[in-house]
Amino acid sequence: MSALAGRLLPVLFGWLALVTLVQAQTLELTQARASVMVNGATTDRELQLPYHWDRFNKGQRGEAVFDLHFDLTEVPADPWGLYLPRLGNAYEIWLNGTLLQRQGDLLNYNGADYARVPRFIAIAPGLLRSSNLIRVHIRADVGRRGGLSPLVVGPQEEVYAAYLRDYFWRGTGSLVVAAFSLVVGMMALSLWATQKDPLYPGQPRRDPLYLYAGLAELFWTFAVSDALIENPPLPWPWWGALQVVALGAWGCNMALFCVEVAGWNRHPAARWFRRWLAALMVGCVVLALWALGLGQPLALTLWYAALAVTILIFGGLFLWRAAHQASLAHRVVAVALLINVLAGLRDLYVFRINPTYAENTLIRYFAALFGLTLGYITIARFRTVSAQARDLLATLGERVTHKESELAESYRKLEILAREQERMAERARILRDMHDGVGSHISSAIRQLQSGRASNEEVLLTLRDSLDQLKLSIDAINLPPGDVTALLANLRYRLEPRFAASDIELQWGVELLAPMQRLDAQAMRHLQFMVFEALSNVLQHAHASVLRIEAVMTTQGMQLRMVDNGCGFDVTAPLRKGLQSMRERAQAIGATLSLHSAPGRTVLKILIH
Amino acid sequence: MWRVLIVEDDAPMREFFAASVLRSDQLSLLASVGTVAEARAWLDNPAHGVDVLLTDLGLPDGSGLEVIRHARLRHPECEPLVISMFGDENNVLASIEAGALGYIHKDAAPDDIAHTILEMKSGASPISPMIARRVLSKYHLLQSNQPLLLTKRAEAAIHNGASLGDKNLLSGREQEVLELISRGFSYAEIARLKTVSVHTVQTHIKNLYSKLAVHSRSEAVFEATRMGLLPKG
Repeated sequence: MSALAGRLLPVLFGWLALVTLVQAQTLELTQARASVMVNGATTDRELQLPYHWDRFNKGQRGEAVFDLHFDLTEVPADPWGLYLPRLGNAYEIWLNGTLLQRQGDLLNYNGADYARVPRFIAIAPGLLRSSNLIRVHIRADVGRRGGLSPLVVGPQEEVYAAYLRDYFWRGTGSLVVAAFSLVVGMMALSLWATQKDPLYPGQPRRDPLYLYAGLAELFWTFAVSDALIENPPLPWPWWGALQVVALGAWGCNMALFCVEVAGWNRHPAARWFRRWLAALMVGCVVLALWALGLGQPLALTLWYAALAVTILIFGGLFLWRAAHQASLAHRVVAVALLINVLAGLRDLYVFRINPTYAENTLIRYFAALFGLTLGYITIARFRTVSAQARDLLATLGERVTHKESELAESYRKLEILAREQERMAERARILRDMHDGVGSHISSAIRQLQSGRASNEEVLLTLRDSLDQLKLSIDAINLPPGDVTALLANLRYRLEPRFAASDIELQWGVELLAPMQRLDAQAMRHLQFMVFEALSNVLQHAHASVLRIEAVMTTQGMQLRMVDNGCGFDVTAPLRKGLQSMRERAQAIGATLSLHSAPGRTVLKILIH
Repeated sequence: MWRVLIVEDDAPMREFFAASVLRSDQLSLLASVGTVAEARAWLDNPAHGVDVLLTDLGLPDGSGLEVIRHARLRHPECEPLVISMFGDENNVLASIEAGALGYIHKDAAPDDIAHTILEMKSGASPISPMIARRVLSKYHLLQSNQPLLLTKRAEAAIHNGASLGDKNLLSGREQEVLELISRGFSYAEIARLKTVSVHTVQTHIKNLYSKLAVHSRSEAVFEATRMGLLPKG
């Protein structure tokens, strides 16, 4: 910002020097004979231009006619021009009795204002003589910066160039500044309308920084663009009052913007400052009307002074703070504020304390610095936010990875635990198997041998049972859980040599059964034991010639039947050890065991629900 | 007369099997040895011819599977039988894939042993429902991986110029027979259900044994080639 100002200032001073140079080569007319008409009274006098109406006729409106003489040593043949930095509010210009230009109505007070931009009038070669008279007739309204600046007359090229430079700053410059402020203002307001700060303590809020900046820029647009409006929609002085209010509103909003930038918005003093600014605004309306309506420019000067003092004190605080530990945004705004305060003081001096007539306000250009600072703040904020978002994403990614590895670790532990449990269960099952099967058979074989009463055949049978049990245990490990068909098929295969030896005809009625999900490895082993026990009984005790094994799926569940035509037994007699064990196992797997026995037909039924 | 070689490290058991073989007038005992090295040495002797190999799996200096493979390599006419304590599916399947055509339980009666050997020589191989089920599930697995299998075969064929011989691992009839076995039906019952002779059923099973062995060999060759153990082309 300061770099920009550093570049702008030399340009300005260069321009001032150039104007002086041009004036040296051409004629600058400052001596005039004026007749001023106020309230019907006319006063004639010689005077030095510029003539600033408001300064000489406080609170009065009227007309003035200026006569300016100039002599030429030789009458120019090429076109000349007349450049008037400022005149108005309405005017007529005559040269040697010929009307050169008329703008506005000389009788319509408080009408259109043509004293806003510099004027250039081409002079046809035939109009100039060796002795010339330029007559300028103006109408001046109260407090409207009416009057007449010195006239510049000379060769058209030189004079027109000077006029263009002047016009560039006053007209085009104002247009550019107004357009820039409008764009910045609209952008700031749209930012205010669309952006909510969700992290603000309390509830999410729109950032007032954008609101104040937006309003300030819009008021500034209004104030600056006045330079381009010759026919205002409101009559003077109301239009003028509106301009002053706009200027005041700009200043107040800018101050509030600075409060936000400095982060003082929650400071207790900020409330009092806002109240003071509100009072200034009210005072602005009142004093502007008073000054312009009643022709008391002092009132306006006072108000400007109050605003200036406020801004000076606030600006001093702001700058002091910027010099000590402040954010970069704060410092950038401080630089813009410093430049604007200096420009404002200069303007206050030039326009209110030591009024000159044709000067232009400097602050209208430098206020654009605030727009630039706002741009900087916005960009910096977006950069911060996007950096935060990036950080957040990175942190999030890290945390997700961390969580994932944690999860994987806990899964691994869980799996180890589950595997351990499985192994424990498997071990327990095998131990029980060995205890109930092989172990019990071998111990009974030992008892049989020790007692000496058992026959060789009996001991052999016990040992065969033991080996068969061992084989079945091993098979059970590979049996798919719930596959009863496979279980029965395997049992048959294992017992095949015994069936072959016993001359029992085996009828196989096993359907292809869908696996029963509820039978786990343990339950399969129980079922295997039960069927083995039942078949062993038939083989050893039934003396049957036909054994039928059926397995079907019924509506009640899977039904397993073993039917033999043997001698049968008393089912009401105290249970044999084998039968007792079958009942227990049936209970353990939630199966129903039923037994019907009569000579010639014994049916053992296992129903698994 | 079928000439039998016995490989069994447990001396009493070896005696028992030798006696069982000698009891049959259709079998002659060539030798009975106790280690893989002895068996290899015996098989490597070009003067020796053998019809039946009876081998235990757990040998002191290695696995009976090595003996089976070696025997198949040196004496293609030799039909190996595995002596298995439990006839459990893992060991039996591994033996079949190594080239065994049957198995005998250690607790079988002496007559049963000779009977099993003669049955095998006449074309019958025993198979338990559990093994039938395993073979079926493996077959289904292969079927579901058919495209992969075809790729494997094609690659193997390209690399080795070997025809794997099995367009499909199982024929439809073989599959049906296996399914009935896995459901517990006996060969006789299956023959009745399918209205074929028991012999036909037995032949199906024996064919199946050979196929499993061939399939396993081609798989091994493929795997070895893939892992760079065998030269390509």
